[in-house]
Amino acid sequence: MNNRLRVLRAEQGWSQQDLAERLGVSRQSVNAIETGRYDPSLPLAFKIADVFGLTIEAIFLKDGGSE
Amino acid sequence: MAWGAPGMSIRTPAARRYIRIHLALSVIYILLVFLASWFIPDDAPPTPGVVAFALLPGMVVLGWIWNMGRLLVTMEDEYLRMLEVRKMLWATAITLSICGGWGLVELFATVPRLPVFFVFPIWCLGLAVGQLINRLTLGDGGTCA
Repeated sequence: MNNRLRVLRAEQGWSQQDLAERLGVSRQSVNAIETGRYDPSLPLAFKIADVFGLTIEAIFLKDGGSE
Repeated sequence: MAWGAPGMSIRTPAARRYIRIHLALSVIYILLVFLASWFIPDDAPPTPGVVAFALLPGMVVLGWIWNMGRLLVTMEDEYLRMLEVRKMLWATAITLSICGGWGLVELFATVPRLPVFFVFPIWCLGLAVGQLINRLTLGDGGTCA
């Protein structure tokens, strides 16, 4: 699953650690999600959407979807 | 049974608590094995007292397993928890493969028997292999190995 997390984080000027603290997860988790090595659970996806004030589908894209 | 080198792993509060308990249990285990070796002669008959004394270190093994389960339950970070579960699955697969494979060899050929005592240490070595596989495939080893 593709996602726009890195772009959205950069727009906010946050480091991976900053975002991790806002989400209550490790920096490794943020890195794994950004690089597509791990797809978050639905509760974590909702939390990510809340942090950016967006919907889940505005952040996470189906395979083959573009940013 | 050490689970790896400091500095190579991710230290969450749950992981730190796990390591503290693990180290304490390890000290108790070594002490009990030492005492059992000291007091029980090699040719001791299997009396209830001898069996009970020999099983005391086994209680610590149960403690290690409980501590691992507690780590999984208390870890809040789902990605790190997935890394731990992957390590345990690799450890289980390796242990079952070695024990199942060697068991068949024992059945059909005259070879040294694999003492059951070694099953848990093999599983722990499997955790280290699982951490290595995590690191190679996902870039992160895990919290405790």
